Amino acid sequence: MNLQEYIASGVIESYVMGLASEPERAEFEQLCTQYPELVAARRDFEERLEEYASEHAVLPPPEVKVKVLEAIGNTHSRKIPSSNPSKIITMENSTSPVRGSGWLRFIAAASIVLLIAMAWLYYQTNSQNKDLTSTNDRLKEKLTSTDSILNKIVEEQKTVLKDPNTTVVNMVGTQSAPKSSANIYWDSTSSNVFLVVKNMPKLPSDQQYQLWALIDGKPSDLGVFDATNDKVILKMKNTQKAQAFAITIEQKGGAPSPTLQKMQSMGKTRQSQ
Amino acid sequence: MGITTTYTELELVRALKERDDQAFGFLYDNYSGALYSIIKQIITDNSELASDVLQEVFINIWRKIESYDQSKGRLFTWMLNIARNASIDTLRSKSYQNSQKNQELPDNVYKGVANQTTQMNVDNIGLKKVLEKLKPEHRVLVELAYFKGFTHEEIAEMMTIPLGTVKTRIRNALIQLREYLQ
Repeated sequence: MNLQEYIASGVIESYVMGLASEPERAEFEQLCTQYPELVAARRDFEERLEEYASEHAVLPPPEVKVKVLEAIGNTHSRKIPSSNPSKIITMENSTSPVRGSGWLRFIAAASIVLLIAMAWLYYQTNSQNKDLTSTNDRLKEKLTSTDSILNKIVEEQKTVLKDPNTTVVNMVGTQSAPKSSANIYWDSTSSNVFLVVKNMPKLPSDQQYQLWALIDGKPSDLGVFDATNDKVILKMKNTQKAQAFAITIEQKGGAPSPTLQKMQSMGKTRQSQ
Repeated sequence: MGITTTYTELELVRALKERDDQAFGFLYDNYSGALYSIIKQIITDNSELASDVLQEVFINIWRKIESYDQSKGRLFTWMLNIARNASIDTLRSKSYQNSQKNQELPDNVYKGVANQTTQMNVDNIGLKKVLEKLKPEHRVLVELAYFKGFTHEEIAEMMTIPLGTVKTRIRNALIQLREYLQ
């Protein structure tokens, strides 16, 4: 056969590109074992094809390599894939003795600092908590006692106000203090006297109001009060008799006898009639 | 790519047969682009599918490296044929055919393929670009045989030309191709 004609026939290209039929392939491979020129011509075309293909390469998506290496890693894990340098660097970082000990020392120091900080914080929180608990307890106690006092007052007021024996004395303002007014709730059986301030002007700090009962023409002291606690029921001193009640302004602490010029309000009881 | 080691083809093949991962990384970095190019010339309309095929091709190269016979051709030739065959298999797979049904009527398959091949895409890459330089009657046959994977007999039937003419034209086209590659 004419080798040059065979080489020029296109059989090499057909074989290399995988387009030759099975008989053609077998013949070509057989002839290659006999004719080195044929092998050389084949290699020449293969190199051209490879060169051309490399020049016209299209970069595949980078994830394909990762997937391929993962897939072959599953079937074969004797060596770390060198073509994935980032993985190796990560492992070196974590195992390198020099950098590792520095990192460890830092972590150790940081841990101790953190431990101390947490212990201090625990102590602080704990003592603060104790303080708060005791304060809370004290407030609870106070609340309980205040509640019971308040309940007592409310009960007292209820009995006073509803008691049919209670006399309500409406105190009206005098000429020197026409707007002053207060109510006296006077239980003639128990002789309890309660005062409800409706409207009494505020006094200088060295003065107080004083309540008097007029018994057979003589004033009797029933106690002092401030005008600050508006509309609160005040329990005054007891009296069994009273024709009238009067309020005067006196020096702080009260006076033995009323200063009548400063009488603010007055109310007569039914006993006066 | 950070790879400093280079291999002659002999060294590379030996290292691959010894299951050397580093050699495989070198192989991927140096040949994935060329193989991806041929895959994309065959699977033209689906880049994701082309990537999947490339992945499959490299896994097959790793698994089948033992069967590579250097006396029959260069390593690249062997890999190129694996990539081409895998691409054509994918092209002919039932799932791919189903995805294409909307585009091609079944009784028109051959005509459709022939029409596709005669209307050359402007953005042809790789070997297809070389095909543009061939005579149209040659180009169609190479396209059908090489990029669509039809046998000479199938081409003769679908193009209604004698089998001998198909063979001669393809051979002539390949001879021209060789000249263009110089």
